This record gives sequence, C-alpha cells and structure tokens, in this order.
Amino acid sequence: MSVTPDPVTAGAAARAQVRLRVVIAEDTVLLREGLRRVLTDAGLDVAGTAGDADQLLQLVEALRPDVVLADIRMPPTQTTEGLQAALEIRRRWPGTAVIVLSQHVETEHLFELLATDPRGIGYVLKERVADIAQFTDAIRRVAAGESVIDPEVVSRLVARPRRDSPLETLTERELAVLALMAEGRSNQAIAGQLYMSPKTVETHVGSLFAKLGLLPAAEDHRRVLAVLTYLRR
Amino acid sequence: MSRRLRAALIAGAAAAMICFVWSGRPWPAPYLPFFISTAVIGLSFLVAGIAAWSRWPASRLGLLFTIVGYAYLLPATLRNLPNPLAFTIGNLTATVSGGALAYLALAWPSGRLRSRFEVGVVIAEYAWTLVPTFVSMLFWNPSFCGCGGGGHANILLIDSSRSVWDAVNAASIPGSLALTGIVLALIVRHWRSARGWSRRVMTPLLWISVAVIAYFVAQDVTGNLKLAISNGLFFNGIAPLVVLAGPALVVADTVRARSARGAVGAAVVDMEPGASPGRLRDALARALGDSTLQLAFRLPDGSGYLDTSGRAVEVAWPGPGRAVTRVAGADGAMLVHDAGLEHEPQLLRLTAAAASMALEHSRLQAEVQAQLEQVRASRARIVEAGDAERRRLERDLHDGAQQRLVTLSLALGMARDRAAGVDPELGSLIESASKEAKEALTELRELARGIHPAVLTETGLAGAIQALAERSPVATTITAVPDGRFPAAIEATAYFVVCEALANVAKHARADGAQVTIQSRPGRLVVEVSDDGAGGARPEAGSGLRGLADRVASAGGVLRVDSPPGEGTRLEADIPCP
Repeated sequence: MSVTPDPVTAGAAARAQVRLRVVIAEDTVLLREGLRRVLTDAGLDVAGTAGDADQLLQLVEALRPDVVLADIRMPPTQTTEGLQAALEIRRRWPGTAVIVLSQHVETEHLFELLATDPRGIGYVLKERVADIAQFTDAIRRVAAGESVIDPEVVSRLVARPRRDSPLETLTERELAVLALMAEGRSNQAIAGQLYMSPKTVETHVGSLFAKLGLLPAAEDHRRVLAVLTYLRR
Repeated sequence: MSRRLRAALIAGAAAAMICFVWSGRPWPAPYLPFFISTAVIGLSFLVAGIAAWSRWPASRLGLLFTIVGYAYLLPATLRNLPNPLAFTIGNLTATVSGGALAYLALAWPSGRLRSRFEVGVVIAEYAWTLVPTFVSMLFWNPSFCGCGGGGHANILLIDSSRSVWDAVNAASIPGSLALTGIVLALIVRHWRSARGWSRRVMTPLLWISVAVIAYFVAQDVTGNLKLAISNGLFFNGIAPLVVLAGPALVVADTVRARSARGAVGAAVVDMEPGASPGRLRDALARALGDSTLQLAFRLPDGSGYLDTSGRAVEVAWPGPGRAVTRVAGADGAMLVHDAGLEHEPQLLRLTAAAASMALEHSRLQAEVQAQLEQVRASRARIVEAGDAERRRLERDLHDGAQQRLVTLSLALGMARDRAAGVDPELGSLIESASKEAKEALTELRELARGIHPAVLTETGLAGAIQALAERSPVATTITAVPDGRFPAAIEATAYFVVCEALANVAKHARADGAQVTIQSRPGRLVVEVSDDGAGGARPEAGSGLRGLADRVASAGGVLRVDSPPGEGTRLEADIPCP
C-alpha cells in the first residue's frame, strides 16, 4: 500500500470554516476508502491514508495532520499496532489528536491510551463510523482537545454491579451527568444533551463529586480520567 | 543328596558308634574321658558330614567331614579289639585324624584343595602320621602304657625298647611341627586372599584352626616330654573337644546362609519404589554379606558391561575368585560376586530373583511414569491446540465478518444520509437495516470475545481479568493480579479458571459479591476466586467445576474447591509456572 496524500479540493475548502486535516490508518481497503469518502463528504480534509502502523507514522511525520484515525489491529501482527502507533504519535507530536478505532470494548487499551494525556484522545468502537454525523462530531471534538470515550465502554462501567458503593447514592440525573462526563463531554455539551442549564449541570457535578469523594476538577480532561478511574475500580 | 546315600551314611555312623561303644567294654575308668570325647567328636563329624553332604551335594566337604569322623572312631575301635592285627592297625592309624583335619581345613570352604602344593602338604601330613608311628611301633611294647594283654599285642614289634620308641617319637616332632606350621600359614593365606562372602566364611575357620593346632602342638610337646599333665582328664577328655568347632562351622555356615536369604528378601521388600540400581546393589551386598557384589548392565550398543558405579566389568572373565550369575528377566543384567557364593546356589538364585524383581519393578514403574508423562504432554498439547484454534477463529471473525459488517454499516450510513432528503421512506428502511447491522456487530463482538479474548493475548492477564470483572453480573473485585506476562498456556488456563468461576458464581451461587486474586509465587501461579453465596458446590455434581479441574490438570495444576453450604465458595487453582 502506498502513501497517498490527497489533493485539497477547492470546493470542500470553501465549505468548511476550518478544514481539519485527517489521516486514516485502516488495513481493510474497502473500509478505508469508505471512510475517506464519508469524511471528505462531511467537509474534512483526508490528507492521507495508511494500511499499517509504519506507513501511518511516516504519513504523520510528513503531513502533520490535525487528527489521526487508527484501527487498533493492523498488520503485521494484528494485535495492537494501532494503539502503539497512537502512543508513539502522542509522544512525538503531542498536538496531534488521535482516535483509536476498536472492535473490542476493552478498558485496558483505553487506559493505556489515556494514561499519557487524555486531551485530544478518542477511543471509539469501529461500528460508530456508520453514524456519520456523530463520528465527524467526535473527530471535531478530539481536534478541539476534548476526550471522546465510546458510550458503550462508559455504560458498561456505569452499569457494573457494585456493593456498598457511593454510586448507589447518586440520583438518576447525577448518573446521567456522570456517564456523559466519562464520555468526555464538557458541561456545555452535557447541558445541551440533557436539556438543562449549564448552572444545573454544575450543581449536579459538584454534588456527585462530593458523594463519590472526588476532588472537583475544573478541566474536562482531568475530569474524564478521574471519573473513569473511579468507575473502573 | 540321594536318599540311599543318606541312609548309608546314617547306617554307617550308627554302626561305627555301636562298634566303638561295644568294643570299649567294660570302659575302664582311666580311659573313660578319652572314650567319651572320641565318641562325641567322631559322631559330631559324621553328623556334620551328613549335613554338609546334603547342603553342598556338589562339594567334597561332606566326604571330608565323614572321613574325619571315621578317622576318629575306627582306629579307636580297632585298638579296643582283643585281636593283635586289629590292635596293631588301630594303634598305627591312631593319629590319622590329624591328616584328615588338615585336608578339611585346607579344602574349606569349597571342598577342593587349591593347588598341587596343598595336595602335597596333605599327603605329607598323612605320611608323617603313619611313617614315624610305624617306625616307633617296631619298638613299642603295649605294656609301656599298661594296655597290653588279652589279645592287645603289637604284631610289628621286633625289639621292645622304650628308649628307642621315645627317641623315634621325639624325632618325629620337628617334622610334624613344620607341617602344622605350613598348614596354618596356608590357612592364613586363604583368609587373606578371600574377599566378600569368602572372607566371611574363612574368618571362623582361621580362629578354629589356630585353637585346634595349638591343642595338637601342646599335646605333641607335653606327650613327648612326658609331662604329668598329658595323662590328665583335661588333655584326654576336655581339650580334644576343641575339634568340635569343625562340625560347628557347618552349623554356623548354614545359619549364615539362612539369615542371608531372609535378609535378601527383606532388602528387596524394603526397597523404596524407584530406587536406583546402585541402591539395589548396596542393599543386596549388605544383605548377602558380600561387599564385593557388583550389579552389571549391558551397554545399549552391546559392547560391554558397566557396574552401578560406572566401572567396566568383564563379564566373560570376571577375574580370580569371582563368578557371574545372570539376572533372569532383567535384560542384560548380571550379578558379579565372590566365587564362594557358588556353594550357596539357593542363596544365589534367590538374590538373582530378588534383583530381577526389583529391576523389573523399577522398569515397569519407569514405563508407567513415561506413559503418564506422554498422556500429560498430549493432554497439554490438545488443550493448547484448542486454544490456538480459538485464537485463530477469533482473528478470522475479527478480520472477516466483523470488518465486513463495519464496512456494510458505513455504506448503509452513507446510503441513509443520501436517501434521507430524497425519499424518507427509503431512508427509514435503510435506517432499520443499519440498526440490524449494528446489532449483528454487537452480537458478533461478544461471540468473538467468548471464543477468545483478544485482550488476553494482547495485554496479558491483568487487562483480561479486569475485563472479566467489568462484565461479571455479580459485583467483582480484583485484589491482586500480576502485571507481568506468563506463557500463553498458563495465561489461558488462569483466564479460563476466572471466567468459568465467575460464570458459576453468576449462575449458581446467589452471591452478592465475588473476589479474584491471582498471585505469582515461585514456580507457580495461584488463582483464587471466592464468593459470598450459597456454597455447596460439588465438583462431581456435573457442574462446570469438573471441566475446570480438567483444564487446570492439563496444565499440570490442581484445583481445590472449598464450598461449605451457606458459607460461599472458594476456588483455588494452583498452576505450575516456570
């Protein structure tokens, strides 16, 4: 597979206020091309695509994209090359946002990824690509420095049976706020999604942090890690 | 020994005794001690002869004992007879028993003289008892010792002269002393060259010979010096009994062989299973009383034999004083032992049989062990092959069906977005197809995960166990999981244990919580899953526990289940881990 930087199309550039430059790493050609098409149609600039981790690193070095989409499993060993490449990219080019696409719901991988710095990190189930609007939204969010954690992962952690946990004392509203925080949403976004005022969201956040015994964290990305760590315990 | 020979020997002994007793009538008091000691000694040797003959039919020992017995009894009987010829012959052969004893001592324990020189020594012994006696009798008048009259006449007498008789007797002493010295020296040499079993057999003979020879020398010297003591009760009645030690040797030897037989049997019974051939040799050597015993095995290429300490053994030519016995059954095993043991064929056969049994036992045990090892290895291979197959299946699903479904979902998503503005009905149709695809993906993901958790191979036990705890329908806490990696088979087994155990907790335990602890100890991995549920789980009751125990055993480990009713279940798998 060759490294193929995309020519910038003039029409698309005019449409998007800020055209995000994206690199896609995915070994299945059909899916890779489908993604390129979808993202391009959504107004993103797919600067290049790669079929394995080495190609991906070369592309990132050459193109310095805003966002990298990487499948976790890629040749040659079909294990966690994508994840390792993501970590490498974050180490060498910390400003680059990375979304790791996974076919598993494994918090182990997620925490490996978040451990460095959760800003601009996404861990998303591969099947989310079908919901194009949500998916492009996730890309824009990580590009803006937010964290994006797949709702499936979060809901599994929230739904875990627990004994004698302060989580049982949370109200339904508070739980919903907690889950959205764990997905990496900002207060603003949570307010939009739950149809409440940002002020109410702040109240809920303060109260649930107190119940869980967590220190209130002003920055969203710290909040994500704190909440996820709490849920995973 | 044939029955006829035995009957003849018994009859001969009885007849000789009766004749001796009858001839001695009316047993004059001064000679009574001499009569009694002669009778006791003669009878003892005759009985020992019968015993030795039946114990060692192939050896001449029986004959030699018998000869000594008659050499004591016959001359004494003849001397008692009131017939000049008998009386003369009796006196002429009165000391022939000395030669017979020398023969017996030199031939011990095989019954054969070891060299021509020894044959010469024995002939000289006989000659030296007969020739000087013959010469002295030419001048001996029975009245010298007060035993003449009533047919007790010396027909050899040519000139009754006490001084000549004494002189001849005295002249013979240096020669008989020299011969006695030679005999003793030969016996000492036999003893010194004997090893192992033969040495043990020779040792009592050596001491007996010293005592008997001391007695003979004392008798010769005191008799010729005409010391008063030579006519006393001690020298005529008691001291001669030292010769009884000869027959006692047969008894001692028999007892030794018997006890050795018992000891060999006990040694083999007491051998711990799987003991090395070296241990077997030591036990047999100890029991047998032959420190020189070697247990030799044929080299696989047939080029020779090695003993248990790795020394080469020449089985065809085992060396002087050595003999070889084949150990039946045990392929190419040989006992190389002291040649003296050949006179105890029963003991030797028993030893060989014991060795054969012990070796066969070890061999069978090794075989069973090897088979068990094979079964173990093949079971482990089967399980590993199964694991590999599951990994392959999971990967195929991931790279094939899952990937295609994702691509399909993406295409459906695009189609829906396009159709939405144009044909809402078509849009909602595509939407439902898209949902189906998503459902299928979720199901497929869980299916693949059930077949093999990719996270286990990718990140090891810690991540995989964490994922299990997150998925468990019962609140599950992890107290400890080692971060490091282990061999794939061990990780898979530990994972399987936790997975099945948590599934059991969810299905049967009615528990509020479960706890998982995995600890890496030196040489093993200990996996523990406990819950606070109903307990009462029984591995034999056909639950998943049986399969779990099998799985753990396939990795060479043990599964322990502690599940008292009402007190929860604790499951511990102890898996060997290099």
